Amino acid sequence: MWFANFLQWLHDTQLSTTMRESIWAEPLVETIHVLTLTLFLGFAVLLDLRLLGVCLRRRKMSEVLAQLNPFLFVGFAIMVASGLLLFTGDPPAFWGTIFFKVKMIFLILAGLNVLIFNATIGRSVAQWDLAPKTPQAAKVAAVVSIVLWVAIVAAGRAIAYALPPP
Amino acid sequence: MALKTMLYHFCQWCNASPWGHGVRDSVWLFPFVEIFHLLALGVLGGTLLLVNLRLLGFRFPSEPVAELAEDVKPWMLGSLAVMLVSGFFLFCTEAVKMYGSPAFRFKMIFLFLAVVFTFTIHRKFATSDDARFSRFSRSVAAVVSLILWACVGLGGRAIGYYGS
Repeated sequence: MWFANFLQWLHDTQLSTTMRESIWAEPLVETIHVLTLTLFLGFAVLLDLRLLGVCLRRRKMSEVLAQLNPFLFVGFAIMVASGLLLFTGDPPAFWGTIFFKVKMIFLILAGLNVLIFNATIGRSVAQWDLAPKTPQAAKVAAVVSIVLWVAIVAAGRAIAYALPPP
Repeated sequence: MALKTMLYHFCQWCNASPWGHGVRDSVWLFPFVEIFHLLALGVLGGTLLLVNLRLLGFRFPSEPVAELAEDVKPWMLGSLAVMLVSGFFLFCTEAVKMYGSPAFRFKMIFLFLAVVFTFTIHRKFATSDDARFSRFSRSVAAVVSLILWACVGLGGRAIGYYGS
Protein backbone atom coordinates (compact mmCIF):
# COMPACT_ATOMS: atom_id res chain seq x y z
CA MET A 1 0.00 0.00 0.00
CA TRP A 2 2.78 2.38 0.92
CA PHE A 3 4.48 1.53 -2.37
CA ALA A 4 1.43 2.61 -4.36
CA ASN A 5 1.48 5.88 -2.41
CA PHE A 6 5.19 6.30 -3.18
CA LEU A 7 4.57 5.75 -6.89
CA GLN A 8 1.78 8.31 -6.84
CA TRP A 9 3.99 10.78 -4.95
CA LEU A 10 6.69 10.25 -7.59
CA HIS A 11 4.12 10.81 -10.30
CA ASP A 12 3.26 14.19 -8.83
CA THR A 13 6.82 15.52 -8.67
CA GLN A 14 8.11 18.18 -11.07
CA LEU A 15 10.56 15.72 -12.63
CA SER A 16 7.79 13.29 -13.47
CA THR A 17 5.62 16.03 -14.90
CA THR A 18 8.48 17.30 -17.06
CA MET A 19 9.17 13.81 -18.41
CA ARG A 20 5.51 13.44 -19.26
CA GLU A 21 4.72 16.83 -20.69
CA SER A 22 7.93 18.07 -22.27
CA ILE A 23 8.08 17.49 -26.01
CA TRP A 24 11.76 16.63 -26.04
CA ALA A 25 12.50 15.03 -22.64
CA GLU A 26 11.03 11.57 -23.14
CA PRO A 27 12.23 11.16 -26.77
CA LEU A 28 15.73 12.24 -25.76
CA VAL A 29 15.95 9.90 -22.76
CA GLU A 30 14.40 6.99 -24.65
CA THR A 31 16.81 7.50 -27.56
CA ILE A 32 19.73 7.42 -25.12
CA HIS A 33 18.29 4.29 -23.51
CA VAL A 34 17.84 2.45 -26.82
CA LEU A 35 21.12 3.52 -28.45
CA THR A 36 23.18 2.79 -25.32
CA LEU A 37 21.73 -0.67 -25.69
CA THR A 38 24.04 -1.13 -28.70
CA LEU A 39 27.01 -0.43 -26.45
CA PHE A 40 25.89 -2.55 -23.55
CA LEU A 41 24.12 -5.46 -25.22
CA GLY A 42 26.73 -5.66 -27.96
CA PHE A 43 29.65 -5.92 -25.56
CA ALA A 44 27.74 -8.21 -23.19
CA VAL A 45 26.98 -10.58 -26.06
CA LEU A 46 30.60 -10.48 -27.28
CA LEU A 47 31.77 -11.31 -23.74
CA ASP A 48 29.28 -14.17 -23.50
CA LEU A 49 30.33 -15.47 -26.92
CA ARG A 50 33.95 -15.48 -25.73
CA LEU A 51 32.87 -17.39 -22.61
CA LEU A 52 31.21 -19.91 -24.90
CA GLY A 53 34.39 -20.06 -26.93
CA VAL A 54 32.80 -19.12 -30.26
CA CYS A 55 34.14 -15.61 -30.74
CA LEU A 56 37.43 -13.77 -30.09
CA ARG A 57 38.96 -17.15 -29.30
CA ARG A 58 42.49 -15.98 -29.90
CA ARG A 59 42.22 -13.39 -27.14
CA LYS A 60 42.88 -14.34 -23.55
CA MET A 61 39.69 -14.51 -21.49
CA SER A 62 41.17 -12.25 -18.83
CA GLU A 63 42.09 -9.70 -21.48
CA VAL A 64 38.63 -9.72 -23.05
CA LEU A 65 37.14 -9.23 -19.58
CA ALA A 66 39.56 -6.43 -18.79
CA GLN A 67 38.97 -4.65 -22.09
CA LEU A 68 35.17 -4.92 -22.19
CA ASN A 69 34.28 -4.49 -18.51
CA PRO A 70 34.82 -0.71 -18.22
CA PHE A 71 32.45 -0.09 -21.13
CA LEU A 72 29.99 -2.61 -19.74
CA PHE A 73 29.92 -0.73 -16.44
CA VAL A 74 29.49 2.67 -18.09
CA GLY A 75 26.87 1.30 -20.49
CA PHE A 76 24.95 -0.35 -17.66
CA ALA A 77 25.06 2.85 -15.58
CA ILE A 78 23.63 4.88 -18.48
CA MET A 79 20.94 2.24 -19.06
CA VAL A 80 19.92 2.33 -15.38
CA ALA A 81 19.94 6.15 -15.22
CA SER A 82 17.95 6.58 -18.43
CA GLY A 83 15.67 3.73 -17.42
CA LEU A 84 14.95 5.35 -14.07
CA LEU A 85 14.19 8.65 -15.78
CA LEU A 86 11.80 6.91 -18.16
CA PHE A 87 10.14 5.20 -15.20
CA THR A 88 9.61 8.48 -13.38
CA GLY A 89 7.62 9.63 -16.40
CA ASP A 90 4.64 7.68 -15.12
CA PRO A 91 5.49 5.36 -12.21
CA PRO A 92 2.00 3.98 -11.56
CA ALA A 93 1.43 3.22 -15.27
CA PHE A 94 4.77 1.41 -15.69
CA TRP A 95 4.40 -0.52 -12.46
CA GLY A 96 0.91 -1.49 -13.59
CA THR A 97 2.26 -3.49 -16.55
CA ILE A 98 3.33 -7.10 -16.04
CA PHE A 99 6.20 -6.57 -18.49
CA PHE A 100 7.88 -3.91 -16.36
CA LYS A 101 7.82 -6.16 -13.29
CA VAL A 102 9.10 -9.09 -15.34
CA LYS A 103 11.90 -6.92 -16.77
CA MET A 104 12.97 -5.87 -13.27
CA ILE A 105 13.02 -9.48 -12.06
CA PHE A 106 15.12 -10.51 -15.07
CA LEU A 107 17.50 -7.59 -14.47
CA ILE A 108 18.04 -8.70 -10.89
CA LEU A 109 18.66 -12.27 -12.08
CA ALA A 110 21.14 -10.98 -14.68
CA GLY A 111 22.97 -9.09 -11.95
CA LEU A 112 23.02 -12.20 -9.74
CA ASN A 113 24.44 -14.17 -12.65
CA VAL A 114 27.31 -11.71 -12.96
CA LEU A 115 27.98 -11.79 -9.20
CA ILE A 116 27.95 -15.59 -9.08
CA PHE A 117 30.27 -15.78 -12.08
CA ASN A 118 32.76 -13.35 -10.51
CA ALA A 119 32.64 -15.16 -7.18
CA THR A 120 33.17 -18.64 -8.59
CA ILE A 121 34.56 -19.62 -11.99
CA GLY A 122 35.52 -16.03 -12.72
CA ARG A 123 38.23 -16.15 -10.07
CA SER A 124 40.23 -18.76 -11.91
CA VAL A 125 40.11 -17.03 -15.28
CA ALA A 126 43.89 -16.99 -15.62
CA GLN A 127 43.88 -20.80 -15.63
CA TRP A 128 41.62 -21.08 -18.66
CA ASP A 129 42.72 -17.90 -20.43
CA LEU A 130 43.63 -19.62 -23.65
CA ALA A 131 42.10 -23.05 -23.08
CA PRO A 132 40.66 -24.54 -26.26
CA LYS A 133 37.43 -25.24 -24.38
CA THR A 134 36.13 -22.94 -21.67
CA PRO A 135 34.91 -24.51 -18.40
CA GLN A 136 31.33 -25.74 -18.24
CA ALA A 137 30.43 -23.26 -15.50
CA ALA A 138 31.55 -20.36 -17.68
CA LYS A 139 29.43 -21.63 -20.57
CA VAL A 140 26.39 -21.91 -18.29
CA ALA A 141 26.89 -18.34 -17.08
CA ALA A 142 27.15 -17.16 -20.69
CA VAL A 143 23.98 -18.94 -21.84
CA VAL A 144 22.02 -17.70 -18.81
CA SER A 145 23.30 -14.19 -19.51
CA ILE A 146 22.27 -14.22 -23.18
CA VAL A 147 18.83 -15.68 -22.43
CA LEU A 148 18.22 -13.08 -19.71
CA TRP A 149 19.30 -10.12 -21.86
CA VAL A 150 17.09 -11.26 -24.73
CA ALA A 151 14.18 -11.56 -22.29
CA ILE A 152 14.97 -8.15 -20.80
CA VAL A 153 14.97 -6.49 -24.24
CA ALA A 154 11.75 -8.28 -25.20
CA ALA A 155 10.03 -7.30 -21.94
CA GLY A 156 11.28 -3.75 -22.36
CA ARG A 157 9.81 -3.50 -25.83
CA ALA A 158 6.53 -5.05 -24.66
CA ILE A 159 6.11 -2.39 -21.96
CA ALA A 160 5.33 0.22 -24.62
CA TYR A 161 2.55 -1.96 -25.98
CA ALA A 162 1.05 -2.59 -22.55
CA LEU A 163 0.96 1.00 -21.34
CA PRO A 164 -2.45 2.61 -21.11
CA PRO A 165 -3.01 5.37 -23.68
CA PRO A 166 -1.92 8.80 -22.35
CA MET B 1 10.64 11.59 -61.77
CA ALA B 2 10.50 8.01 -63.02
CA LEU B 3 12.62 6.83 -60.10
CA LYS B 4 10.19 8.37 -57.62
CA THR B 5 7.26 6.66 -59.29
CA MET B 6 9.10 3.33 -59.30
CA LEU B 7 9.90 3.71 -55.61
CA TYR B 8 6.29 4.55 -54.82
CA HIS B 9 5.05 1.52 -56.75
CA PHE B 10 7.60 -0.63 -54.91
CA CYS B 11 6.25 0.69 -51.59
CA GLN B 12 2.68 -0.05 -52.66
CA TRP B 13 3.69 -3.57 -53.68
CA CYS B 14 5.39 -4.17 -50.33
CA ASN B 15 2.39 -2.82 -48.47
CA ALA B 16 0.05 -5.15 -50.32
CA SER B 17 2.32 -8.19 -50.03
CA PRO B 18 1.21 -11.27 -48.04
CA TRP B 19 3.90 -10.72 -45.42
CA GLY B 20 3.05 -7.00 -45.22
CA HIS B 21 -0.53 -7.96 -44.44
CA GLY B 22 0.50 -10.80 -42.18
CA VAL B 23 2.78 -8.77 -39.91
CA ARG B 24 0.46 -5.77 -39.92
CA ASP B 25 -2.67 -7.70 -39.04
CA SER B 26 -1.13 -9.84 -36.32
CA VAL B 27 -1.05 -8.47 -32.78
CA TRP B 28 2.14 -10.20 -31.77
CA LEU B 29 4.08 -10.61 -35.04
CA PHE B 30 5.11 -6.95 -35.35
CA PRO B 31 6.62 -6.74 -31.83
CA PHE B 32 8.21 -10.16 -32.42
CA VAL B 33 9.99 -8.96 -35.57
CA GLU B 34 10.84 -5.67 -33.90
CA ILE B 35 12.56 -7.48 -31.03
CA PHE B 36 14.79 -9.33 -33.50
CA HIS B 37 15.60 -5.96 -35.07
CA LEU B 38 16.52 -4.58 -31.64
CA LEU B 39 18.63 -7.60 -30.60
CA ALA B 40 20.50 -7.60 -33.91
CA LEU B 41 21.07 -3.88 -33.40
CA GLY B 42 22.78 -4.71 -30.12
CA VAL B 43 25.11 -7.29 -31.66
CA LEU B 44 25.86 -5.18 -34.75
CA GLY B 45 26.56 -2.16 -32.55
CA GLY B 46 28.86 -4.20 -30.35
CA THR B 47 30.98 -5.52 -33.23
CA LEU B 48 31.22 -2.11 -34.90
CA LEU B 49 32.09 -0.40 -31.61
CA LEU B 50 34.77 -2.98 -30.89
CA VAL B 51 36.53 -2.50 -34.23
CA ASN B 52 36.16 1.28 -34.18
CA LEU B 53 37.41 1.59 -30.61
CA ARG B 54 40.43 -0.47 -31.63
CA LEU B 55 41.02 1.82 -34.64
CA LEU B 56 40.88 4.75 -32.23
CA GLY B 57 43.35 2.94 -29.99
CA PHE B 58 41.05 2.85 -26.96
CA ARG B 59 40.53 -0.91 -26.70
CA PHE B 60 42.76 -3.98 -27.24
CA PRO B 61 45.72 -1.76 -28.18
CA SER B 62 48.12 -4.66 -28.29
CA GLU B 63 46.02 -6.78 -30.64
CA PRO B 64 46.18 -6.38 -34.44
CA VAL B 65 42.95 -4.81 -35.63
CA ALA B 66 42.82 -7.25 -38.55
CA GLU B 67 42.54 -10.20 -36.18
CA LEU B 68 39.84 -8.54 -34.08
CA ALA B 69 37.87 -7.62 -37.19
CA GLU B 70 38.26 -11.14 -38.56
CA ASP B 71 37.04 -12.62 -35.25
CA VAL B 72 33.83 -10.58 -35.12
CA LYS B 73 33.13 -10.53 -38.85
CA PRO B 74 30.66 -13.48 -38.86
CA TRP B 75 28.65 -11.84 -36.07
CA MET B 76 28.74 -8.45 -37.75
CA LEU B 77 27.53 -9.87 -41.06
CA GLY B 78 24.96 -12.10 -39.37
CA SER B 79 23.46 -9.33 -37.29
CA LEU B 80 23.45 -6.97 -40.28
CA ALA B 81 21.56 -9.60 -42.28
CA VAL B 82 19.01 -10.02 -39.47
CA MET B 83 18.60 -6.23 -39.30
CA LEU B 84 18.02 -5.93 -43.05
CA VAL B 85 15.53 -8.82 -43.18
CA SER B 86 13.61 -7.80 -40.04
CA GLY B 87 13.75 -4.17 -41.17
CA PHE B 88 12.26 -5.12 -44.52
CA PHE B 89 9.35 -6.93 -42.83
CA LEU B 90 8.73 -3.94 -40.56
CA PHE B 91 8.89 -1.65 -43.60
CA CYS B 92 6.33 -3.73 -45.47
CA THR B 93 3.69 -3.21 -42.81
CA GLU B 94 3.49 0.50 -43.61
CA ALA B 95 5.56 0.93 -46.74
CA VAL B 96 3.47 3.67 -48.29
CA LYS B 97 3.58 5.69 -45.07
CA MET B 98 7.36 5.22 -44.97
CA TYR B 99 7.59 6.55 -48.52
CA GLY B 100 6.35 9.88 -47.22
CA SER B 101 8.39 9.87 -44.03
CA PRO B 102 11.41 12.21 -43.95
CA ALA B 103 12.85 10.28 -41.00
CA PHE B 104 12.68 7.01 -42.91
CA ARG B 105 14.35 8.52 -45.98
CA PHE B 106 17.07 9.95 -43.74
CA LYS B 107 17.63 6.52 -42.23
CA MET B 108 17.79 4.78 -45.63
CA ILE B 109 20.23 7.29 -47.07
CA PHE B 110 22.54 6.89 -44.09
CA LEU B 111 22.11 3.11 -44.10
CA PHE B 112 23.28 3.08 -47.71
CA LEU B 113 26.23 5.37 -46.92
CA ALA B 114 27.15 3.41 -43.79
CA VAL B 115 27.08 0.03 -45.53
CA VAL B 116 29.08 1.29 -48.53
CA PHE B 117 31.62 2.97 -46.24
CA THR B 118 31.95 -0.12 -44.03
CA PHE B 119 32.60 -2.50 -46.91
CA THR B 120 35.01 -0.25 -48.79
CA ILE B 121 37.14 2.38 -47.04
CA HIS B 122 36.53 1.19 -43.46
CA ARG B 123 37.35 -2.38 -44.44
CA LYS B 124 40.78 -1.28 -45.67
CA PHE B 125 41.56 0.17 -42.26
CA ALA B 126 40.08 -2.77 -40.38
CA THR B 127 42.17 -5.32 -42.25
CA SER B 128 45.60 -3.71 -42.20
CA ASP B 129 48.47 -3.32 -39.77
CA ASP B 130 48.84 -0.30 -37.57
CA ALA B 131 51.93 0.66 -39.53
CA ARG B 132 50.12 1.00 -42.86
CA PHE B 133 47.99 4.05 -42.04
CA SER B 134 48.58 7.01 -39.77
CA ARG B 135 46.93 7.10 -36.35
CA PHE B 136 45.03 10.16 -37.49
CA SER B 137 43.53 8.59 -40.61
CA ARG B 138 42.57 5.45 -38.66
CA SER B 139 40.78 7.62 -36.10
CA VAL B 140 38.97 9.55 -38.83
CA ALA B 141 37.77 6.31 -40.39
CA ALA B 142 36.50 5.11 -37.00
CA VAL B 143 34.73 8.39 -36.23
CA VAL B 144 33.10 8.53 -39.70
CA SER B 145 31.88 4.96 -39.25
CA LEU B 146 30.45 5.74 -35.80
CA ILE B 147 28.72 8.90 -37.03
CA LEU B 148 27.21 7.21 -40.11
CA TRP B 149 25.82 4.29 -38.10
CA ALA B 150 24.65 6.61 -35.30
CA CYS B 151 22.65 8.55 -37.90
CA VAL B 152 21.01 5.30 -39.02
CA GLY B 153 20.06 4.57 -35.42
CA LEU B 154 18.82 8.10 -34.77
CA GLY B 155 16.84 8.04 -38.02
CA GLY B 156 15.23 4.82 -36.92
CA ARG B 157 14.24 6.38 -33.62
CA ALA B 158 12.93 9.48 -35.37
CA ILE B 159 10.51 7.43 -37.48
CA GLY B 160 8.47 6.83 -34.37
CA TYR B 161 8.24 10.51 -33.59
CA TYR B 162 8.23 12.16 -37.01
CA GLY B 163 7.27 9.26 -39.25
CA SER B 164 3.88 10.49 -40.30
